[in-house]
Amino acid sequence: MYLPSGVYHETYRADHAWWQATFVRAKMAFLVLLLIVGLPLAGNYALSVANIIGYTILSAFGVQLLIGYSGQLTLGHAAFIAVGGYATAIGMLQYGLPYPVSMALGAILAGLWSVLFGLPSARVKGFYLIMTTMAAQFVTVDFIITQYVSRVSGREQSFSLPPGTITVGPWVIDTELKVYYLMIALVTLCTMGMANLLRTRVGRAWIAIRDNDIAAEMMGVNVVRYKLMAFFVAGVLGGLAGSFWISSLYVVSPDHFQFSWSVWLVGVILIGGVGSLHGVIFGSIFVTVLLEALKFAVIPLSDAYPALSTGFLYIKEGVFGLAIVVFLLYEPRGLAYRWQQLKNYFNLWPFAY
Amino acid sequence: METFLQLVITGILVGSIYALVALGWTIIYKCSGVLNLAMGELTLLGAYVCLAFYTWGFPFPVALLATLIVGFVLGLLTERLFLRRMIGQPILAVIMITAGLSFFFRAVVGFIWGTDTRVFTPPVFPTEPVRLGKMVMGQVYIWSFLAALVLLLVFVGFFQYSRWGLSMQAAADDEMAALSLGVSVKRVYALAWAIAFMAAGVGGTLLGNINGLNISVGYLGILVLPAVVLGGLNSVPGAIVGGITIGILQNLSGGYLEQLTPGGVKDIAPFVFMVIIMLFRPYGLWGWEKIERV
Repeated sequence: MYLPSGVYHETYRADHAWWQATFVRAKMAFLVLLLIVGLPLAGNYALSVANIIGYTILSAFGVQLLIGYSGQLTLGHAAFIAVGGYATAIGMLQYGLPYPVSMALGAILAGLWSVLFGLPSARVKGFYLIMTTMAAQFVTVDFIITQYVSRVSGREQSFSLPPGTITVGPWVIDTELKVYYLMIALVTLCTMGMANLLRTRVGRAWIAIRDNDIAAEMMGVNVVRYKLMAFFVAGVLGGLAGSFWISSLYVVSPDHFQFSWSVWLVGVILIGGVGSLHGVIFGSIFVTVLLEALKFAVIPLSDAYPALSTGFLYIKEGVFGLAIVVFLLYEPRGLAYRWQQLKNYFNLWPFAY
Repeated sequence: METFLQLVITGILVGSIYALVALGWTIIYKCSGVLNLAMGELTLLGAYVCLAFYTWGFPFPVALLATLIVGFVLGLLTERLFLRRMIGQPILAVIMITAGLSFFFRAVVGFIWGTDTRVFTPPVFPTEPVRLGKMVMGQVYIWSFLAALVLLLVFVGFFQYSRWGLSMQAAADDEMAALSLGVSVKRVYALAWAIAFMAAGVGGTLLGNINGLNISVGYLGILVLPAVVLGGLNSVPGAIVGGITIGILQNLSGGYLEQLTPGGVKDIAPFVFMVIIMLFRPYGLWGWEKIERV
């Protein structure tokens, strides 16, 4: 823990404070102001982009927890997001539960579903675990949800959510701005929850398992229990992401939770940095903004080359794939590491040796 | 009974194509230890390249040969540009680089050829079905089976008898020993990718002949994973047997379980099967048994 010179604590309260230096306090105040007041002024387009970023952050938290903190490779996280989303939608439409209640139920159900598919992690790891989680993806989304859940009470393919279905207390979540504030609340909650969880006994146990599972077992960590706990928490986070995302959708369909979204999330944390909460946020912002910027780059060209706009979806995927490859080759520790380097540079300036 | 036989035989015929692609996957894993998620996109690339040559008017065997050559070159390039730098990196990094490549290749295919289903016109193989006793099957299946079989034999012969094939086996067995005996392991890696591209291209072309060619042919790449898990990841005969078994299993479950559910069983049955294998026999049929207790 580095503190700038001149900052010293006289009480335990000050020593345990979240933000200890004036500069940090100013920075956080600026961030809060930017998020609560600044971005809403930027208009609906900026808000919709921000909502996508928020959804990506919420979804990627679970992946970061599994891959970056407990070392359990997963390629099926979209399944748990789907469980959360569908459970919330069913809770509201079929049973008339309020949104926050069905959100909590959806999150817990997604967590339990995740534990079910985390059970093989007691026996297998590495590549085989990837295969199991991929199987979870296909069994959950392509079979159970597509063939059974989507047809609950005579529906054909998807759940439509009439406007005004989603209410938090007296507020109806019906505009981008309200979705945005919901997103900010959830992201703040999850970030703080994750950051604190990782400092507890549980978080330390996960990190021990990630670094060396046999050594962790020798030190008295119950490996299977903590692995399943990691799957549960990751599933809960995924479920929260899913039930948040339906608030900005008019229909919920299996197409929103395909295998490529699972791979996408792993790509996001690779670009951001594995094993870092900053990484989740940086990766989500980088990927979403990069792909939005791509749109603006393509629009002026599309008059000359119409193929560019018809094939835009593919351009997006291709650029994302290349971004993963380039980051793995040239910046394997991700954006979070680069951010740390940058901060160090300024901290040590002008004596960088 | 006839339904059963019909399903099994169709399964074997389709499974031979899976076996071909699974062989490509296993070669890469065996020689360089890379777990490849881009196999499906390699089949897509190969199939569309072959389609392009065929629609330009080349006869089918020539088009297939050209596909093999293009696949060979692309395989060498991919290995040289991306995979060679990843030697010694953690497993997640290597897997994700193939996942990134799979996004990229699929995007290239989708951008150039679009999303419509395309068929080989005029049809490559005669369309009238063949009758064997009471069973009926399309000639395209039989020809695909024969083509896959010939290629499988060629590849296996290549490994057993040619100098390069033997050097690949040596490198797979013990890299350090192979290096000290003068085998160029770099060349082995490159060759493995080239062979995988070729096998995948032919597999995709054959499957495209059966069902028509669109972007979902890439699903084949995910379908080979159960096959290689069953075979034990690093065993060539395992990949072949695994591919054929998965083909049979997929057809049987499609034939019998489809009535019990609203649909979609055919696509996920291989994965359920794979999970069961992994719970009881994670090293598959002939894989190397690595015991590590935690």
